[in-house]
Formats: sequence, C-alpha cells, structure tokens
Amino acid sequence: MTFFGLTMVTEQALASNAELGDELVLRLQRAEPSAVAEVYDAHHAAVRAFAKRLLGDATSAEDLVHEVFVSLPQAIRKFRGDSALRTFLISIAVNHARHFVRAAQRRRRAMSAYGETTTHETSDPEHEARRKELADLLTRALDALPLDQRVAFVLCEVEERSSREVADIVGAPEATVRTRLFHAKKKLRQALETEGLG
Amino acid sequence: MSKDLLAEATRALRETEPVSEFEARATRARVMTGLHQTRVRRRTRLAFLLPIAASFIAVSAWGAASGQARVVLEKLERFVGVATPAPTSAKVTPRKPSAAPARTVPTPEPAARTPMQDAEPTLPPPVAAPEAAPARAAASASASSARAERPDPTLTLYRIAHTAHFVDHDPARALAAWDAYLSAAPTGQFAPEARYNRALSLVRLGRNQEARSALEPFANGAYGAYRKAEASALLERLAP
Repeated sequence: MTFFGLTMVTEQALASNAELGDELVLRLQRAEPSAVAEVYDAHHAAVRAFAKRLLGDATSAEDLVHEVFVSLPQAIRKFRGDSALRTFLISIAVNHARHFVRAAQRRRRAMSAYGETTTHETSDPEHEARRKELADLLTRALDALPLDQRVAFVLCEVEERSSREVADIVGAPEATVRTRLFHAKKKLRQALETEGLG
Repeated sequence: MSKDLLAEATRALRETEPVSEFEARATRARVMTGLHQTRVRRRTRLAFLLPIAASFIAVSAWGAASGQARVVLEKLERFVGVATPAPTSAKVTPRKPSAAPARTVPTPEPAARTPMQDAEPTLPPPVAAPEAAPARAAASASASSARAERPDPTLTLYRIAHTAHFVDHDPARALAAWDAYLSAAPTGQFAPEARYNRALSLVRLGRNQEARSALEPFANGAYGAYRKAEASALLERLAP
C-alpha cells in the first residue's frame, strides 16, 4: 500500500512491531540509532503526514518529524505499551507542536508577503489549483484556532481518527476532545464564510 | 453550504501533495546525526562529571574519616558567621589563673636573649593553640548538644596532656600524655598543637636529639606557617 508516494505501514507491519515491542522499546531507551532508524522507516510517513496537515508547511513539518524522532529515546520511557507505537509518536508530535505551529505561521506570513507560491505538476491543473486553494484557506483558518482545537480538528476530521484514539494521543477525556472539535468546526465555518467562500 | 465547503477543504488538506523520497531521506539523515550528537554530548558530560563526582565523594569520605571535614565545616561556619562564639566559661580544661598570662607572652626574639639563655635554651612560652583547641571543642560542643553528650575519647586524652603540660608543668607526664593523644588521633584536629607541645616537652627533658627531630617538620613548613619561626629559633639553640 502506498501513502503519498512512500510505503505506508500495513497492519501486518504494526502487528510485527507489537510483537517485538519490548525489545525495540529497550533498544530505543538505550538510544540505539538502529532502533530509531527502524521506527523511522516504519512510521515516518504517518508522522510526516500529520505534521504537514497540522502545520500546513512542509519545512516546519520536516523539522517537527526530526524533533519527534530525536526525542524518541527520551520520550519512550513514558511509553506504557497500551497504545500503538504510531499513536505514541503522534502524541510526541502533538507535545512538540506548539513551537513549530508558530514557526509555520511566521513562514506562511513571510511567503504571502513575497507572493511566493509553490506549484506542482499534476494531470488536472484546474482541480489541483482548487484543491490547493482550499487547503491553504483551511490552513490559514486553522492558524486562528488555539492549538488544542487545531490538533483535535486535524486528528478527528483530517486524519479521520476516532475520538477515543485522539483522546489517547492528546491525553484528554473523549468528551473534551469532542468539545474542542465542536468549537474548532464552528470557528472554521465562520472563517470560511468571512473569506466569502461559504 | 459552508459545511460542504469545510468538508471539501478538509478533504483537500487530507490529500496533501506527496513528500518527496529525498526529503524523507534527508530528514532521516538529520535524525541520525542528531542522535549521534546527543550520544556524544552525553558521553562528554559523563567524562567530565564522573571524575568530579568521584573526587567529591573521595574527598568527603577522607574528610569524614580523618576528622578534617569537621575542622573545615567549623572554619566555614566561622567564616560565614553562623558559628556560636565559644564562651570563655566553656573552656574544657580548668586552668589556674596564673597559667593564662604565660600563654599569651610572645616568644622573645633570639637577639634579645642573653648568652646564658642561649647556652641553655629557654623554653618558649606554651603555645596558644591549646587554648584555642578546647575553645574550638567547646564551640562544636555548643553547636550540637547530641555531640556534646558523646565525649570524644581523644579529646579527653588531649585534656590530660594539656593539664600535665600547662597546669602541672610536668614535662615527663606531659610527654607521655601527648604521645598517648597522638597515637590515638595521629591526624586529629589538635595533632599539630600536640606535636609541637610534645617537642617542647622533649626540650624540657633535655632530650635534644629527639626534640630536634620533632621540631624539624615545623621549621621546614610541614604545618605551613604554624610555629615555623619558633621551631626554627629553637632548632638554632639546640644545634650541637
């Protein structure tokens, strides 16, 4: 299965990770580069996709991915094994996101000031332009949200995770996650209407 | 409508353009470099901190075992000003009033001495340190009542020697008592004072050869400036 051009980790791979969990966790705790490399190869696509959706900026997303895997040997000490390693990695990304969200916002403002845009060759340029316009619009609207609401929206709506899983990731009750999502969607709709696209 | 637009925008964000293989590999290399640097930093930190920690533990253990830690602590307390000043009534050894002035008489200059005194060296005045020593003991005793309840056996030996030397003026008994103290506490906090007073007892007993041996470390500065000048003057007089 492919995921944005990169090999996506299959359920089978996840299961095998769970099997060698204890040994891998021990190796990660010893900060063995081979263990981190193994986890990176298995999960970087998911972490990167989340980072990019959350931050809306490829460069900041790469920085966040780097931060997640560099801090993994320290963070793994808190890993209880009651959630998937990938979920745990996403939660590390959430914990480190605040600084990167600000960096991404600064970069977006700078790019819009210089009128810089990135173009990608696609089979349907018109469709791609519309998709990009909407994605950029939503990213700008997300910038106006508090971080917890932004995280809840990206995880629940964009990544289509269950509220239970999101609650595990952000370390908050499910009801809190649903409340954050409700407020996020309300604000985003208002923002889109303000932009005149509603 | 806005709901549909939000759904459409959400779908658009979900379908973010793919990340190039190059970017993924570049970040992987950065992660590996970052990990390597972290390991190097940790090792460097350990290489610096471990010897420092080991030295600190060793010095603390040595200080506790030799009794020097207490001396340093008392000096620190005095320096900082938290030590209770030793009251004059807290002197451990009861002394005759006449003994006190003798202790404070300064050492006469060799030039001022008569030839007769040169031929038969006069005994320099007793050291002031023993006076300070019981005062120090009293200060530490007042600092901790628990410590005061457990008398130090070596301190008792010191008091006996002090009495024989300064109160009874019995050099033979004083010499035996100083030897007893020094064998019990060769590195005790009053060891330098005891060694010097022992040397004086030897001088008084006319055991000049032994006295010279005992005074030489003081004259050579083995105890810093403590009694260096007095020991040198005495050695000159004891020279055959």
